[in-house]
Amino acid sequence: MSLPPLRRPAPTRTGFECDPAFVAGQFAAGVAVLVAAIAVASALPRLPWGLVDPLLVLIGSHPVINALIKALTVTVFVTVHVIFLIWLERKFAGWMQARLGPMHVGWKGALQTIADAVKLLMKEDIIPTRADRILFIAAPFLTFMPTLLTFMVLPFSEKWVAYDFPLGILFVLAVTTNISLGTLAAGWGANNKYSLLGGARACAQVLSYEIPMAVAMLSVVTLEGTMSLTEIVKHQQHGWNIIAHAPVMIPAFLIFMVCGLAELNRTPFDLPEAESELVSGFHTEYSGMRFAFFYLGEFAANFFTAGLAVTLFFGGWLGPWLPAPIWFGIKTIAVVTLFMWIKWTVPRLRVDQMMGFCWKFLVPASVVVFCATAVWVMVAGS
Amino acid sequence: MTAMQPAVGASTSSDMTINLGPQHPSTHGVLRLMVALDGEYVKSCRPVVGYLHRGLERMMAARPYRQSVPFTDRLDYCASLNSNLAISQAIERIGGMAVPERAQYLRVMLCEMNRIASHLIFFGTYAADIGATTAFLYAFRERERLLDLLEAYTGARLTCNWIRPGGVASDMPEGYAQAVCAFLDGFLKELDAYDTLLTGNPIFRVRTEGVGIISPEKAIAYGASGPVLRGSGVNIDLRRTEPYDAYPRTQFDVPLRTEGDCLARYLVRVEEMRQSARIIRQCLREMPEGEHWGKQPKVFRPAAGEAYSRTESPRGELSIYLVSDGTANPVRVRVRGPSFVHLSMLPELVRGVKVADMIAILGSLDTVLGEVDR
Amino acid sequence: MRLIVSFAQGFVSILKGMAITFLNLVGRRKITLQYPYQRPNVSPRWRGIFYLPYNDEAGRINCVGCTLCAQACPTGVITMTKMGAGKHASVNAFTMDLGRCMFCNLCIEACPFDAIHMSTRFELASVDRGVSLLTIDKLAQGGADAVERTKRTIEAALEQEAAAKAAAAAAKAQAAAGAQAAEGADA
Repeated sequence: MSLPPLRRPAPTRTGFECDPAFVAGQFAAGVAVLVAAIAVASALPRLPWGLVDPLLVLIGSHPVINALIKALTVTVFVTVHVIFLIWLERKFAGWMQARLGPMHVGWKGALQTIADAVKLLMKEDIIPTRADRILFIAAPFLTFMPTLLTFMVLPFSEKWVAYDFPLGILFVLAVTTNISLGTLAAGWGANNKYSLLGGARACAQVLSYEIPMAVAMLSVVTLEGTMSLTEIVKHQQHGWNIIAHAPVMIPAFLIFMVCGLAELNRTPFDLPEAESELVSGFHTEYSGMRFAFFYLGEFAANFFTAGLAVTLFFGGWLGPWLPAPIWFGIKTIAVVTLFMWIKWTVPRLRVDQMMGFCWKFLVPASVVVFCATAVWVMVAGS
Repeated sequence: MTAMQPAVGASTSSDMTINLGPQHPSTHGVLRLMVALDGEYVKSCRPVVGYLHRGLERMMAARPYRQSVPFTDRLDYCASLNSNLAISQAIERIGGMAVPERAQYLRVMLCEMNRIASHLIFFGTYAADIGATTAFLYAFRERERLLDLLEAYTGARLTCNWIRPGGVASDMPEGYAQAVCAFLDGFLKELDAYDTLLTGNPIFRVRTEGVGIISPEKAIAYGASGPVLRGSGVNIDLRRTEPYDAYPRTQFDVPLRTEGDCLARYLVRVEEMRQSARIIRQCLREMPEGEHWGKQPKVFRPAAGEAYSRTESPRGELSIYLVSDGTANPVRVRVRGPSFVHLSMLPELVRGVKVADMIAILGSLDTVLGEVDR
Repeated sequence: MRLIVSFAQGFVSILKGMAITFLNLVGRRKITLQYPYQRPNVSPRWRGIFYLPYNDEAGRINCVGCTLCAQACPTGVITMTKMGAGKHASVNAFTMDLGRCMFCNLCIEACPFDAIHMSTRFELASVDRGVSLLTIDKLAQGGADAVERTKRTIEAALEQEAAAKAAAAAAKAQAAAGAQAAEGADA
């Protein structure tokens, strides 16, 4: 009796194989798109714009279309600025550590992030066999979506704000809490013990540090008497909060910064992804684009937290000579750099020390600052 | 805090077994730790060693005496010259070879340079274990300059193989003393800066102070040596208690801490780097002229017998035991490595601590797996 | 009070640490070597890949095929076949299997003829396992040409020696014959 031949499944085409015909086709398609784009661009000035203009106004005033355009703008901004932030972080860390950082792709490695994104796109999408598939797939979006939502109320200038929500601060607090839901889902869904520990740590950490952060933000609200982020900035016309109300706002800012570091899972509070302990924490099992979403969310949250600090304490978009959004960008990047600077200097806390620091020090301190602000407002107001 | 800790040894359904390693960022090599966790608490830990076992003892026993030296490079690859010294001394003892005085100074100088390189690895990786990545790269920047010096002398950066039975394989290249002195000047300044960056940092201190305490009795009972022993307040340094080569003629302090925790071990190592710099300067200053390698017998057949050499490697007592039956090859080579002994303390030290503390304790023992597995 | 003091001290020491990292950020030379474009200058004593130096005056490589290096090698890297004999000897084949080599320098120290050296070439990685097997053509300074010339030199020397020997033998024989003839004449 002869054995049946060993059967192997036929190799499937993924579309990413290095097939010359395939590559040539892609190249041709790229050239075609480029030619079409040039043609359209050269035709644009000759179009009858006078007819189109009223149409655009109509679209702009339509609430649904308006909302869609704003959503698209925010999403594109978040995705694109993260490319810059990641490059900045890598360069910053590199220079700080006597290295050069990325140097190869583009000018001083400026396009490295794009190359990495392309690589992540082409990577195999791995879902562990015994993972909780639904949670595993949902987790990256659960962490990314709240971050994206927060950008809705972040005022880049008086006009450049997607939705000038009167209860902006409340909205921010409500939405950012949901990030821990995503990390917990990732930690549980991956069915990996490192992930589980990381997810549990992340959840505990974010929920705990939310409280002093909220109280620190509330002291600003007490000072300004409004929860709208644009109003808060407008109130700082005659001096940034941190300067005009230094005795109470500097401690509030410090508490806000520390809590911000904890919310962002950055050193000294990077316990959820503590590399030397938990390999990569809650995103240990993630690969490809799913991992990229975590990364994207992390850096976008970085920008948002820094932007919030600027709005609350450093006068938001206010500043001389330059246009408002540019001022906002400069200030925010400066605060982001401060986050990076701290991250690359200090070691990591242990989990009980991290919780102890929050509950035994930050929560009482924030309450004290809050009460002091109330007294300050009474004294200054009378 | 103690109320929160689970009863040690009791097994509940919430227990979790994690394999840290063989591929894990902080096991520094191919060590596998089978850890039973109850939440963040370590209930038990079993180190699984042997992933790097190459049978070096047997390989050395199957070859003529002098050919075993390159194999010792692969024992403690962070401090290859110190391992070279251990086997060379054993061979000299069994064959009754004398070492010229200049060679003794050269050996001490090389060993202390390698000690600094090894402690810099400890400094860097320990910082990385605690979470400070930048200090890691700073330590490696200094180590790189030191390895350049070792390369200028021996021709190799890691597996130097330059201390040989009866002396040192070559004399210093021209201008070497000045280069070493220049390095030491810069290095000591840098070391102070790193000290400020890490030692003074409150987060580093709360992570290491009072963590992984080894009592002097326990350290002696386990056979600990080197910085682990001296961090527990036992003043034994083989360079002082059983001095060899040029050590009796050099002045240095043996750093000692009595706390026995991770911070004490860390501080002992940092201070040892300063003392090593001191020893190197003395060696360069007092080195006599002369030959670097004594007269070598053409065929080396020591009389039947045995020899045991004890040396102070950066990790502790590295000893080598040789048995000869009068032929060209040894009958038995036995390496007594400090890392293996220290690793055996780990299960007791980590019982009941948190995962993060376990990593801190493992890092503070500074084990090198090449020497554990041999 | 103690708590506040220790907190302030901790805060200050974190700021000190940040000052150090900042100084390194702006004030220090970056040490990265952009490897494929920049290469390190290794020390002249570097223990890199081997070569057999070619002696221009003698027109041959120095190796006489004495196998001392092969005997000194802890891992048995070196194999060779001898060519020629006596004073005019060299090697036909000299193979080093670098897959086993520890670059320990013992072979070089064992050689009494200064016939094997280590170069400063350090890029030994390869995707092909066969590359680690170095034959004499790759080892000899000057490549296959040097090996060929060595062979010719040795052969010529051997021929010369043989010729000289033959001439000496002939001369001896002649002398012997002459002596015999003289003896015969005497008788």
